[in-house]
Amino acid sequence: LSENRLCSRGGGDEEAPRQNGSAARRRGDPPLSDGDDAGSDFGPADLQDTDNDPSLRREIRSKYRDLISSVQQNREDMLSPTNNRLTEVLEEANRLFKDVKQAREAALDAQLLVVATDLGKEKATQLFSDGAAFDPTAFAEHLLSIMGINRLEDAEDEQQNGGAVDGYLPQDAWHRVARRAECCFKAAPSFHYMFGSFHAEPPPPKQRIERQRKAPSKEAKRIMPTQLKKMDESHQEATEKEVERILGYLKSYYQDDPTSPISYYEFVIDPNSFSRTVENIFHTSFLIRDGLARLYLDNAKLPCIAPVEEGEVEAGISSNRKQCILTISQKTWKELVDALDIKDTMIQPPNTQNE
Amino acid sequence: MSNRKRLSNTQSSSQARKHPGSPSTQEEDEDVTFTQPSTSQVQRGLQKVTEAQVEQKTAEVVQYFLVKEQRKVPVRRADLVKHVLKEHRNIYPEILKRAARTLDQVFGLKLVEIDPKNHLYVLINNLETSEGASPINSTDPKRGLLFVILSVIFMKGGVVRENVIWNLLKKLRVDPGEKHEDFGDVKKVVTDEFVRQRYLEFVRIPHTEPVEHELRWGQRAEKEVSKSKILDVMGQLHDRDPQSWSQQYREAHSSQNSTQQPGSSSQR
Repeated sequence: LSENRLCSRGGGDEEAPRQNGSAARRRGDPPLSDGDDAGSDFGPADLQDTDNDPSLRREIRSKYRDLISSVQQNREDMLSPTNNRLTEVLEEANRLFKDVKQAREAALDAQLLVVATDLGKEKATQLFSDGAAFDPTAFAEHLLSIMGINRLEDAEDEQQNGGAVDGYLPQDAWHRVARRAECCFKAAPSFHYMFGSFHAEPPPPKQRIERQRKAPSKEAKRIMPTQLKKMDESHQEATEKEVERILGYLKSYYQDDPTSPISYYEFVIDPNSFSRTVENIFHTSFLIRDGLARLYLDNAKLPCIAPVEEGEVEAGISSNRKQCILTISQKTWKELVDALDIKDTMIQPPNTQNE
Repeated sequence: MSNRKRLSNTQSSSQARKHPGSPSTQEEDEDVTFTQPSTSQVQRGLQKVTEAQVEQKTAEVVQYFLVKEQRKVPVRRADLVKHVLKEHRNIYPEILKRAARTLDQVFGLKLVEIDPKNHLYVLINNLETSEGASPINSTDPKRGLLFVILSVIFMKGGVVRENVIWNLLKKLRVDPGEKHEDFGDVKKVVTDEFVRQRYLEFVRIPHTEPVEHELRWGQRAEKEVSKSKILDVMGQLHDRDPQSWSQQYREAHSSQNSTQQPGSSSQR
């Protein structure tokens, strides 16, 4: 009997006749043929016993449950208009019903009927008159081409994957669908403020740029973009220190020989490094801006630099402020080094770099 | 107001969202106590307020609608009365009438009651979109998703089991079990967001184990989406004459579904 139950788990139609056959056998032919069956119920009393035989009842109930679960799990299959699975299930239920004697099995039969009729109703709604049939799969295919799918060129891949992962959809796939769909909607446009809320803060960086533009040296201006960042990032101190250091050099040179003018070029040029030269010019320009040093032309019309006396500082600031623009290129720098025969730098580079 | 139970999924979820405390009872009380004032009551009410006050309230109502429409959530009459009209609830019909007129004449929007029992309002576009104009809602991909779902439901007779939709979406590389690039939690968008916006109805089917639902057009979709235009797009996609789908064609062109009425009055 357990073998029979195992077979019936597979569900389906093939096993059924055999099962029914054996059940019919047990009812119809009492004594002779079923030696391998459960055994004890032979003889004329057999008819009443099969009504209450628990194993038979169990068998019937289990078959009903199998039918119900197969209907529920194979929904899509049953609904397909291309087969008669649903009818077969109902026929099977009919056959089982002949053996139903107790309430428990009848309840299962009723449950099966409910499930089957739901399916039946579903199948009926699928029935549309000719020409009204709609196939979602074809719809999906057309949508994919709207979306701009890029199919893989290897046809073999498509077959292997069952068409599931063939091709790539572009980023704007659904946007394309939305664009096609737009005409179908009479949706109200969403209301949004055009410019958002009002920002009351002035942009800070602009102010700093304003300040820097007032520096007199154009050369310094060109360096400004890289230097500016340094100043913001607390390299301001380093620059100030450098400027002070240069002032120190200037003062000490001047004190060594107050009568001899210090050539500006000799002062700032570093024959070993063009970039150091430019830095020196930059830092010197601060001295001049702040009135701590002054540039003048000597008899040969060459620029000279001298520190401003303590007392002169204030007077110098407002009255004769002139601006001058200094340019220097590597070529000019080399020429100056040669022409003025500058061997050594007057401003020693700092021990630690500012970088 | 036991009719609220009818759309069990849609109503209770939207109410739970609004009032986490005691959802339905509070709203029902508001609505029950607010009975539409009679014309004579309105007249009397109008005499007690200045024209400026009426215009102010009208403007507030218009703004309320416009902002609510951003999320496409329908406006409930009870909310309107409670939050905007407040002490002027007795002249509610007059204010609503003026608001509808403003929305129509200034914005080209039609105020539509999609649920006469529960008094829900939405705004729809009253103007015909012209071909080639730039898209109004800048091609939101969700609009595309909604179109696909509504089309399938319509072409299949108005009701569809949820599995049909999920299977179709899977073919379009949208899996309700996975997070999608454009939509995120697709299941939530379809069964919650679209339902709250009244574009879809998501109803449980009895006797199903495991539980299954079916999808139908929501009240907003009925008013906002043109079935005949959907059929036209279908025709283009499948390279078929829309009339070849005879039943759907009849449904789309039946008198209650012809939504193309340019320039008609929008008073309700």
